Amino acid sequence: MIEHIVAGLQRPNFVAFVILFLWGFFVMVTHPNLVKKLIGMYLLQTSIIFLLVTIGAKKQSTVPILQAADAAAIATHEVDPADYANPLPHVLTLTAIVVQVATLGVSLALVAAIYQKYGSLDEDEILKRIE
Amino acid sequence: MSYPLPVIIFLIPFLTAICLPMVGLKKRHWCRPLALIAVCAMCVAAVVNLLEVLAHGETRYAFGGWPISTSFPAASIGVEWVNDPLASVMLVVLSSLASVCLIYSGPVSPQSLGSRVVLYYTLILMLISGLTGIVLAGDIFNVFVFMEVAALSAYALVGIPGGRALIVAFRYLILGTLGASFYLLGVVFFYAATGTLNMADLAQQLADKPELMTSKAVIAGTTFMFIGFGIKMALFPLHGWLPGAYTRAPDAISPLLAALMTKVALYGWVRIMFWVLGAGAEIGQIHVLSLLGVLGAFAAVVGALLALSQQDVKRMFAYGGISHVGLILIGVSQGNQTAFAGSLFYLINDAVMQAGLFFIAGSAIYHHKAQTVDDLASLRGGSPWMIGGLIVLALSMIGIPPTGGFFGKWHIILGAIEAHNYWAVAAVIIATILTMAYFQKLFVRIFRDTHLPSDVERIETHPSIRFSVAVTSIAIILLGVCSDPIIRFFRDIAVSAGM
Repeated sequence: MIEHIVAGLQRPNFVAFVILFLWGFFVMVTHPNLVKKLIGMYLLQTSIIFLLVTIGAKKQSTVPILQAADAAAIATHEVDPADYANPLPHVLTLTAIVVQVATLGVSLALVAAIYQKYGSLDEDEILKRIE
Repeated sequence: MSYPLPVIIFLIPFLTAICLPMVGLKKRHWCRPLALIAVCAMCVAAVVNLLEVLAHGETRYAFGGWPISTSFPAASIGVEWVNDPLASVMLVVLSSLASVCLIYSGPVSPQSLGSRVVLYYTLILMLISGLTGIVLAGDIFNVFVFMEVAALSAYALVGIPGGRALIVAFRYLILGTLGASFYLLGVVFFYAATGTLNMADLAQQLADKPELMTSKAVIAGTTFMFIGFGIKMALFPLHGWLPGAYTRAPDAISPLLAALMTKVALYGWVRIMFWVLGAGAEIGQIHVLSLLGVLGAFAAVVGALLALSQQDVKRMFAYGGISHVGLILIGVSQGNQTAFAGSLFYLINDAVMQAGLFFIAGSAIYHHKAQTVDDLASLRGGSPWMIGGLIVLALSMIGIPPTGGFFGKWHIILGAIEAHNYWAVAAVIIATILTMAYFQKLFVRIFRDTHLPSDVERIETHPSIRFSVAVTSIAIILLGVCSDPIIRFFRDIAVSAGM
């Protein structure tokens, strides 16, 4: 038990991911207010992006772009991959954010249309008005 | 020089979708013909592509010329599209069904759209191109992106009629996004464990390092991916979004969604299951395939039971679709060539059958305002086209020999016997009997009910509805008649998947 807690404390980012993910999931599934459901959804998606950034982070590394000043190093194959961060997780992050924003746009449009039609954002209230 | 036809197939609907709003600004009535031409062109290109693949074998397209899985020894860092026999067959099915759905949608499309009709066709084309992307994608992150492209269009399309459809669309959005998020989480775990997203590369790494398969990251990744796909393919306990969405969606859209959305998600899972994880994959101590078989058996039986208890015709067919997803999973999970070939064949049949059934349900609403099973009695006075189509499709759903449904189920049962899974055989047979029961309910209403006046006025069925119902009915019989070569073709695919 104690070693699990210690292992968790050494990886605070992963603990934060789990908390954010479960929190978002909980709000999304249980909250009756439609906009708060969306906030939960956003939290859940953001936690996954946070995990992507976490696994992509690397200490004492720089952007993987070789500049003119590095020409000599390139010529002699002295470029050490360990000095550069892997760009792929960051690219995935950007794409995931774009998808997230598009989803949020569509969902807000739907919520706005629901509000116009039923005059409420509360799920139980809307279901009552349908009947 | 890569072979570019698959990319062209994707670009036809995608570029048309981008151009439509510009054209529609001035000439609104051009949208439908343009969309129809685009999808028909896509269909022709897909057939050419299938013939090409059958003649010359699979091709892979590397975007931007970056090294991909075939350019060994360079590491695969590029985005890759795989155009193998399975993908090319799926492309033909997808594009032909999409064009039939688009022909059908003409008279049935919502009338109140006004200027939004431009966006309506844009969304349909976006949906089709998203599904094409899932079929072709050769790396797991691209599958996620295209899954969202298709799903976002589907949410908007479901919500078109307004009112209760909005609520259903919102529920679909919440659950669909949850599924996509789980899938993305699975992708992150796979990437963290292996450092690659390319499917072929992943499969290579998992085969080379057996200790990866037992690592927690890969186990978690597999589980999350499966839950994600499970929501997208409406596997029984995760099917909550499907019946409402298909019932409330515009009558012109539900055939398209019913025929393609769940089937393409199922195809995506088959791809990851057999081309990445391998047929013998285990999570923890549990064999993934046997778990799939149990879940599929539950879905097949419970889906059919729920269908039997429905009064709304569209809702009944939607539950029938859930039951068939279970049947296909049973076949996939037997782990031998017979059942695998049978279930892929059944997947195609199911796509055609679902499209046809929703054509009939939609046109019953369009011509006779018949929404529930009780209203269907009015079909009797209606067109022989619809009754005839319904009979052929029902025979196939139940599984009576001249139709395609029989041969799919037959091979699934044969494969299950070969694998000594007698409970799977029992599940297929129980699902079949229940399917028979709910079609019985429909036909009793149509033919035996004497309470309603029999002199319902004859309504001339719209030609495009007649055409689409006829095409699906003939296709299902043709699939049955030509089942032998198709099943042999799928057996070859099963061999290439390592069975």
